Amino acid sequence: MTALLLALLIPWVAGVSILFVDGRRRRVRAIAVCALAATLAALLALTAEVLSNGPVVVTTGSWPVGIGITLRADAMGVTFALLSVAMLTAAVTHQLSEPATEREFPGLVVLLALGLNGTFLTGDVFNFYVFFELALAASYVLAIHGRTARVLGAGLVFTAVNLLGTFVFLLSVAGLYRVTGTLDMSRVAERMVLADPNAAILIAVGFFVAFSVKLGLFPFHFWLPTVYTSARPAVAAILSGSLANIGAYGLLRFGAGLLPRELELGAGILVIIGATSIVYGGILAVSRRTGAEMLAYSAIGQVGYVLIAIAVGGPAGIAAAILYTVVNAANKTMLFLTTERRGVIVGGLFALGALSISGVPPAAGFVGKLEVFRAVIDSPALVVVVLLGSLLSFVYAFQIYQFERWRPEGDANLAPSRWQQWIVPVMLGALVLGIGIWPGPLIALSDAAAGVLPGVLR
Amino acid sequence: MNLVFALAAAMLFGVGAYLVLHRDLVRMVLGVVVISQAAVLTLIAASLDRGAAAIYPLPDGPISDPLSQAMALTAIVIGMAVTALLLVLVLRVAIAFQTRALRDIGQEEAALDEQLERAEGPAHEDEEASAR
Repeated sequence: MTALLLALLIPWVAGVSILFVDGRRRRVRAIAVCALAATLAALLALTAEVLSNGPVVVTTGSWPVGIGITLRADAMGVTFALLSVAMLTAAVTHQLSEPATEREFPGLVVLLALGLNGTFLTGDVFNFYVFFELALAASYVLAIHGRTARVLGAGLVFTAVNLLGTFVFLLSVAGLYRVTGTLDMSRVAERMVLADPNAAILIAVGFFVAFSVKLGLFPFHFWLPTVYTSARPAVAAILSGSLANIGAYGLLRFGAGLLPRELELGAGILVIIGATSIVYGGILAVSRRTGAEMLAYSAIGQVGYVLIAIAVGGPAGIAAAILYTVVNAANKTMLFLTTERRGVIVGGLFALGALSISGVPPAAGFVGKLEVFRAVIDSPALVVVVLLGSLLSFVYAFQIYQFERWRPEGDANLAPSRWQQWIVPVMLGALVLGIGIWPGPLIALSDAAAGVLPGVLR
Repeated sequence: MNLVFALAAAMLFGVGAYLVLHRDLVRMVLGVVVISQAAVLTLIAASLDRGAAAIYPLPDGPISDPLSQAMALTAIVIGMAVTALLLVLVLRVAIAFQTRALRDIGQEEAALDEQLERAEGPAHEDEEASAR
């Protein structure tokens, strides 16, 4: 219980305090890294508690149970919180080596950690919206980090589209409250069984649209490439490695957790959208010529696997979706941090990331692809799509490797790297390699996380 | 009553969607605001019941649902904060691009991209030619 409260209180207090001081100073940025590390430690303690004793539930403000807002940490919530805060910590630590231009950067990242933790550790639908909006508000300002005309234009589209997405989410929350008369997730799940199917489908579509916009799935992806390519590497890593996890979490929690019947009903459409995302992202990524652009389109393709795994459902599908999100976040964070830098070590890490994206052992991507493969093995068409996607990933990832790292002209566009610039990517690379070689703990964790969803039991 | 609220919310959403698609950035922001109001109205309409205010000591008889009002209030506050953020962003964009119209920004971005492509294009063509 203490760990759960600390995981929210540390980033809250630290984030607000850091915003008041000049974040360009080295010491302030180091304090932000320490605050994130402390949050990570609290989350680790919470994970240990949840995995050994089951979910931790706290009702805020000493209200009686059923009236106060509940914070609820279960295996899936802590998995996502741990992943997101770890990636944020990596990105901010990496940013220590870069020249600082924005005073609010460290404070906002810590506040983003608060928003993400709150979203993943709440048991209340409306509280989810509040933390969701908090995380997004921090990311709107982070997305215009750099303040060039190009970044501002991309940031405007990002902000407007995601704001609309949150309002669609809010409309669905209102519908959910109307239908069930409660906001508590566990009771919503119980009462949705009795709800009018028509209303439930409308609500489910609203949630799906809201989270698809966040994930950047095919028809909702249009804002994504400009934002990811124009942002600084650290910011792009934060957006794709941490913030995008909300989308996957939301689809799992609201789809498989609260509306499993509607998820099953829409499974066919979800599979089509996922398959289109994989092919569309893959083909457009092949046509790109710089690392950041390739990664932006690759991000669209990679979330397609997550959606397919969710749509296939069942314990294997949901666990594969969670595992793939973890692997993909680690990959993307590492790869975005290695763009724009050259050198043997950075180049090697890029190659490792490329292997991981295309699912070649011993990188972590292999485990992710393998689990998705196991989930879809019953359907030949999906197996073909997954294979095709892997093939496209292999082509685009190594094509960029060739263009940027083998060609003298491509290499000249990249900046040289000192040890400060590769130390964090090396640690992430060790993580990617570690998951690939010893996947046991992560598979166990994602199985435990998938076990908390009622939709899995069907 | 439900129908009235549903129609009003739908109308607000429609007006907002129309404004969001407008070329002028300030109108786009207004569209987002109107859509946020559609969401607030839906939150209010999620529990349409008449009764006394839910303040202790509770009176006898029906009590109006405080939860949907609390949600609407929170949504209004959040909506105001993000609208302010969006307006600042529009201001920055207007200063950076010297325009308030989305079309001009799009054209300028396209020109920028073309420049980048042209700078990189020849190198790729050389490479592809040499590869053949």
